[in-house]
Amino acid sequence: MKLLIHDLSEEALLKILPDAGNEFGKIVYPQQPIRQCTGCFGCWIKTPGACVIKDDYGELGQLFARCEEVLLISRCVYGGFSPFVKNVLDRSIGYMHPDFVIKNGEMHHKRRYSNSFKLQVWFYGECTASERETAQKLVQANALNLDCEIKEIKFLTGLQVRRDCNESGLN
Amino acid sequence: MKVALINGSPKKKYSASSVLLRDLSSCLPGSVELVNCHFRLPQISQEDWEQLSGVEVLVFAFPLYVDGLPSHFLSCLEQLDQYYNQERPEQDILVYALVNCGFYEGEQTKLALEILKNWCGKANLTWGQGIGIGSGGLITALENIPQGKGLKKNIDKALQNLAKLITGRQSASDVYVTHNLPRFVYKKMVELYWRQLARNNGLTPKDLSRKL
Repeated sequence: MKLLIHDLSEEALLKILPDAGNEFGKIVYPQQPIRQCTGCFGCWIKTPGACVIKDDYGELGQLFARCEEVLLISRCVYGGFSPFVKNVLDRSIGYMHPDFVIKNGEMHHKRRYSNSFKLQVWFYGECTASERETAQKLVQANALNLDCEIKEIKFLTGLQVRRDCNESGLN
Repeated sequence: MKVALINGSPKKKYSASSVLLRDLSSCLPGSVELVNCHFRLPQISQEDWEQLSGVEVLVFAFPLYVDGLPSHFLSCLEQLDQYYNQERPEQDILVYALVNCGFYEGEQTKLALEILKNWCGKANLTWGQGIGIGSGGLITALENIPQGKGLKKNIDKALQNLAKLITGRQSASDVYVTHNLPRFVYKKMVELYWRQLARNNGLTPKDLSRKL
C-alpha cells in the first residue's frame, strides 16, 4: 500500500497530486482533530502496536506496517515537520518495538514488523538555508529510526500555503 | 534577572523534564527570579503567557519525540515566535535547552537542538546552550539521588555549568551527556523495565512483539 500523510488543504493537494485518491491506499490529513502523544508508552506496554488514545489516528503504526511507500507532505517548520505531520509521526511509534538494537554505533528501536517502505518527503513553505539543511538531516535520522529507505526529499516552491485550522492539533 | 523554566513535556507530573528543571533551579543563585511554565498542550495557557511577560531568559526542557520536538511543544513555539515578532523586546532574550532522549547517546538530540536554534533565528532570540541528555529513561528513577553523585554525576555537572552560563547571560557550545553506566547495562535495564510494565498490564513479555 502507498500511504500519504499531509497537512494541505484539499485544493492545494489537488494542485500537486490531482490523482492522489487513486494513487494512495490511504491518505491521512487534518480532517478530524488529532490528539497529541502523551508519552505514556501505552503503544508498547498496554496495547502493543496500537495507540491507546481514542481518536481517528490510533492505528498509524499498523498502517505503516502495510506500506511499501510513504509520502509525507509538510510545511517546513524550523527545519522540521509541521505540528500536524509531527503529531502523526509521534502517534506512530507503535510501528517500532520498544527493545533496542545497535545500528551505526548508536542505539535505535528494534523492528516490530518485517516490511520496509520507501520514504518520500516533500516540504513546502518558506525555508531558510539552515532549515533546509536541518530538514534533510531530520529525514535521514527518521529513516534510520524507522529502518526504511529514503526515496526522495524535495522542497516544493510556489505552493500556495494555507494553514489548515486543524493543523496544530486540537484537543 | 527573570528566568522562565519551561517544561515541554506533555506529562502532568513525574516527567524527566520537570526533574531536570528542578535540579537546574537548585544550581541557580537566589538573585535569579524564576518563573515556571508548563507547555503541556498545543496552546500556551493564559497563566503561562502572564508568567512570560518581561522574561530575559528562556530555559526549555522537553523529551525527544521521533528525532525532534513533541508536536504540542512545536505549536507553542510557533505561538511564541509570533509573539516575539510582534513585541520585538528591546533586550536580548537568551534561550537554553535541555533535551532528554530514551536512547543511550545524548547526541541523538542534536537535530531537536538544531530545530530550536532555527526557531531562535525566526523569533529573533539568542541561542545560549543546549544540553542533550541520553539514557533519559533513568532521570525520574534517579531523582532522589543527591545531586552530583553516582550515576547522575555527568548530568549534574552539565546542569551546574548551564546555571553559570544562565547567571552570566553567556553562550557556549552544546554538550551531550549520558548517565555514568555502560550502554549494555542501560539497554538491559530498560528492556527489563518494559517487561515489568507489560506484566503490570496483564501482558506477557512475548506480547510486546505483537503484530497487528
